[in-house]
Amino acid sequence: MRLTALLSMAARVVVPKDYRYGTNRPWTEAAKRLNPPGKKRKKVFVEPIEAKDWTILKGDMVEILAGKDKGKQGKVVQVFRRRNWVILEGLNTHYRFVGKTWDYRGTYIASEAPLLLRDVALIDPTDRKPTQIEWKYTEEGERVRVSSRTGRIIPKPVVERRDGIVPQQWKDGPKDTSPEDTLEKTYAPSLKTLEEEVMEKLGIQEHRRHQKSYWY
Amino acid sequence: MGVLSTLMRGLVRGADRMSEFTSKRGPRTLNKGRSSRPAGVKLPSRKFLSVRAMIPEFVVPHLEGFKLKPYVSYRSPAGTEPRMTAQSLFEQVVAPQITRDFTKGTFNKDQLEKYGFEPTQEGKLFKLYPKNYVR
Repeated sequence: MRLTALLSMAARVVVPKDYRYGTNRPWTEAAKRLNPPGKKRKKVFVEPIEAKDWTILKGDMVEILAGKDKGKQGKVVQVFRRRNWVILEGLNTHYRFVGKTWDYRGTYIASEAPLLLRDVALIDPTDRKPTQIEWKYTEEGERVRVSSRTGRIIPKPVVERRDGIVPQQWKDGPKDTSPEDTLEKTYAPSLKTLEEEVMEKLGIQEHRRHQKSYWY
Repeated sequence: MGVLSTLMRGLVRGADRMSEFTSKRGPRTLNKGRSSRPAGVKLPSRKFLSVRAMIPEFVVPHLEGFKLKPYVSYRSPAGTEPRMTAQSLFEQVVAPQITRDFTKGTFNKDQLEKYGFEPTQEGKLFKLYPKNYVR
């Protein structure tokens, strides 16, 4: 990849105070096209919710209360705290063409539109109906989300890895070292390099030395 | 191909003159090589004399009953040992010997070679600096 492109990708983006956050992340080309540096757009009013009162997390099951897909339940894929948006998997979709070229119309895919927080509600696991949530403390002192209707604690969703692997459920293959063997301490510190130790163990004796050579 | 399609858009035709001409690009008879060291000598009669000592040979100890494998399981937790530094290696290996000799009274500043001190790297097979081994 070109060095300049890589550097611009990795650089932290400075956004102005009245930046309109969209579904694209601010350092991507699409976001730069929609929000070039001099552009001023009409201000969007976002209901201020404090970070500690935020109830919907990525990976939760929520139900849609208003809109095209009212009544449907889905998993939260992305959360936008700046605009109080959530994107659910496969719900509230519109269709568009991606990868268009001058001679190809592109692939027709369904893309999800974000939903406002007030239009979704977390689902109570007991009766699988939407409920309002409060943050309360357990007897151990842990801060948890509690459903107002039934009083059931809603556990935090498991943070999934990007590759979908769940470490505790991993089955070791033939080339995997088991955790016990990995954590075994067999190192005896010594001042020899690995090569010198192996030579000593195998009894190899090397008396030739490298001749100093020059190349120009 | 990406370069060529962009060139096509500019209505310019022809071979790609700007990319590096590697051994992947010419005809089958092109024998170019990708900067590997020759393991021998090129004779004046344009033949090649292979020298056995220049061909790298892997020396591997016997791995019977060796428990470690190429990959580590995902289930293993992160290790808790601190990273090894030169200072910690010194404290583990050399410092006990020096303190033992010092308490006995046999410590001599000029005889640091017996604790592993190397004044020069000349004459060593595996030099630490400039490093002449792969690992």
